[in-house]
Amino acid sequence: MSLAEPAALPVAASVPPRLTIVARFATRFKTSLPAYLLLLPSLVFLALFTYGAMGRVIIDALYQRATPKAPLRFVGLDNIAAVLADPAFTGAVVNNLIYAIGTAVPSIGLALLFALALARTNAVTSALRAALFLPVLIPMVAASALFLFIFLPNVGLLDYYIGRLLPVLPNWLGDPDIALYAIMIITIWKNAGYYMLFFLAGLQAVPEDVMEAAHLDGAGPFMRLRYIILPELKPTFLFVIVIATLNAVTQVDHVFVMTKGGPSNATNLVLFYIYQQAVEHYDIGMASAATLLTLAALMALTALSFRTMAKREGGP
Amino acid sequence: MLFSRRLMLGLAMAGSLAGALAVPAIAGEAPTEIDLFFPVPVDGKLARDMGTLIKEFNDGHPDIKATAVYTGSYDDTLIKTRASIKAGKPPAAVIMSANFLLDMQIESELTNLDPLIKADGTTKEQFLGQFFPALSGNAVIDRSVYGVPFQNSTPLLYINADKAKEAGLDASKPPQTWAELTDWAKKLTKREGDKVTQWGIAIPCAYDYCGWMMETLTMTNGGRYYNEEFGGEVYYDTPSMLGALTWWNDLVSKHKVHPPGATPGPAVSTSFISGNAAMMMLSTGSLTYVRENAKFNYKVAFIPRNVRNAVPIGGASLIIPAGVEADKQKAAWTLIKWMTSPEKSAWWSRATGYFAPNMAAYKTPDMIDFLNKNPDAKTAVEQLDVAKPWFATYKTVPVRKNLEDEVMLVLNGKKQPKEALVAAQKAADETLQPYNAETSLKLP
Repeated sequence: MSLAEPAALPVAASVPPRLTIVARFATRFKTSLPAYLLLLPSLVFLALFTYGAMGRVIIDALYQRATPKAPLRFVGLDNIAAVLADPAFTGAVVNNLIYAIGTAVPSIGLALLFALALARTNAVTSALRAALFLPVLIPMVAASALFLFIFLPNVGLLDYYIGRLLPVLPNWLGDPDIALYAIMIITIWKNAGYYMLFFLAGLQAVPEDVMEAAHLDGAGPFMRLRYIILPELKPTFLFVIVIATLNAVTQVDHVFVMTKGGPSNATNLVLFYIYQQAVEHYDIGMASAATLLTLAALMALTALSFRTMAKREGGP
Repeated sequence: MLFSRRLMLGLAMAGSLAGALAVPAIAGEAPTEIDLFFPVPVDGKLARDMGTLIKEFNDGHPDIKATAVYTGSYDDTLIKTRASIKAGKPPAAVIMSANFLLDMQIESELTNLDPLIKADGTTKEQFLGQFFPALSGNAVIDRSVYGVPFQNSTPLLYINADKAKEAGLDASKPPQTWAELTDWAKKLTKREGDKVTQWGIAIPCAYDYCGWMMETLTMTNGGRYYNEEFGGEVYYDTPSMLGALTWWNDLVSKHKVHPPGATPGPAVSTSFISGNAAMMMLSTGSLTYVRENAKFNYKVAFIPRNVRNAVPIGGASLIIPAGVEADKQKAAWTLIKWMTSPEKSAWWSRATGYFAPNMAAYKTPDMIDFLNKNPDAKTAVEQLDVAKPWFATYKTVPVRKNLEDEVMLVLNGKKQPKEALVAAQKAADETLQPYNAETSLKLP
């Protein structure tokens, strides 16, 4: 770099402006060539399996056929308009919002609580940490199959115990008013342990001396939490919130296994809606349009969070 | 000297070996390699049974090498088959849910089997004549054969005979009408105050099962559910379906003998096995499960009628996707005929609990023996006399879901049967509209 730049500059000064740009570009390219070469293998795979697929989705979203035997024709943004007008899609978006907030807030709250309680390492806390982390190790599909039996109406584990207290037993997965919350319980159970891990890591970064100083100054546990620990954990919070939100959109295994979006679309989430359009309706145009909308929302979210994280510098 | 002799010998051996290898090669009979996609809609043992079956086929047919590829549920199998057709590499044969055939035919994804039947020197009538007549409705589309029935089921009424006896009922004379069933369910429901400790009857309602049970109830109420001759019509907003849904809803909210809400199939069978539900309506496919797990005497019976005895079939057929090359088509056809032959059909039926679609299967000695030992397996076969095709329309799954979503609302007490069926009909008509635009509403 240091050798190439001085050599390029005099040349650039003597040639016409258009060439200057080309030359400058060439120089820049030459200097960063090794970087591109290093990136090449992953770029090839990203292009093949990520960008290629995304390009395909964008193209597919622009085509539709009017009748089953009719050829595909270009319809522009009609598919996107149709998705936005579909009450099943708006229903899925609303469900997904409830689901995202209803899973992120409690699981992060629980995770923080667990982390604070188990911050010090000893035999007991290690065992408890392992116990709380266990649900993370169980694949979502297996966990859903397990909860299917816990939620069984009348004979399931939950009704077996709660049945003694309630006069009428709820049909956990069969009642549209309850089903989404039942699904949310699994997500919270499964993710709280995972987020706890990040908070435990975050707590390690809280400076010992500051804590000690606060202690000496007579700050109680609540004051220390409010004015030292929580501010120190801000980057962790931000990161975990992003992860939790992404999870809420991308994890639908349990919906698939337990309810298939039912009863009456009560547990239909956006990703499952896309699956239904692609597979059940066999409507690639609608599925692609819904995918694009979801992708746009996720990318906006990711970009926003990366920018915020970059501003704060650091974070896990 | 020695060296050259050995070399000569070696050369000679190599030559004769090459010759031996070349002979079949010249005849053009390298084994045709074909894939068979198969779903496992019930439990894991089926995959092993399929392995046994295919191995036996390969041993008996040296010119074909078939590979069984497990493809998940019925729905997953449809996805994977469609994906491989799109990729230009369809499997030679697929065990496909019988009510997806029409939709696939509309999308031009199936091979018409008529030429293959003709090439065997048999007529369509002779070929279809091997199978129970109820099954041809889902195998024949526009008078052409597109599928060969492989594993089939009908819904049954399961009764806990011990509980019936407790309630003073005789399970050997099962309820035959809705009125009798309602009466039985009332007698079999146990209450402690407001709380129900034992339900009289449970009928499953989850996506897929719910539509099938609605078809069952509608048919026993004299209805049809859909137009068997044309894929663009369903009869949701009709008196026969209104009666069916109202009765189901009455069992839940009026008589309070059926658990509220939508209950999936496995929950219903678990409830029956644990004694929490004294009767249930479920597929014959669950018979093996009940036989192996019930710790009480049980009886199976026909689905009771209100107007007539009738049940839909369920299950899967063997198909050849569109775009399979001629030689693979021939090999697949050999496999399909072998798998649906009386002996294999009977063996598969005993292994899985489905009934054997090939009528001659029930005349094989092994099957006669099996039925004598398990008379409950006979009920399903006898009920076939009144069986009718499984609903199949353009976009079968969404059209079915249009109804199921509304039925679930009714069972949860959120809608009245009439308004639910009107809404279901409207939604289904919209889903079917593109097909009608191309067929019934395309006018000169």
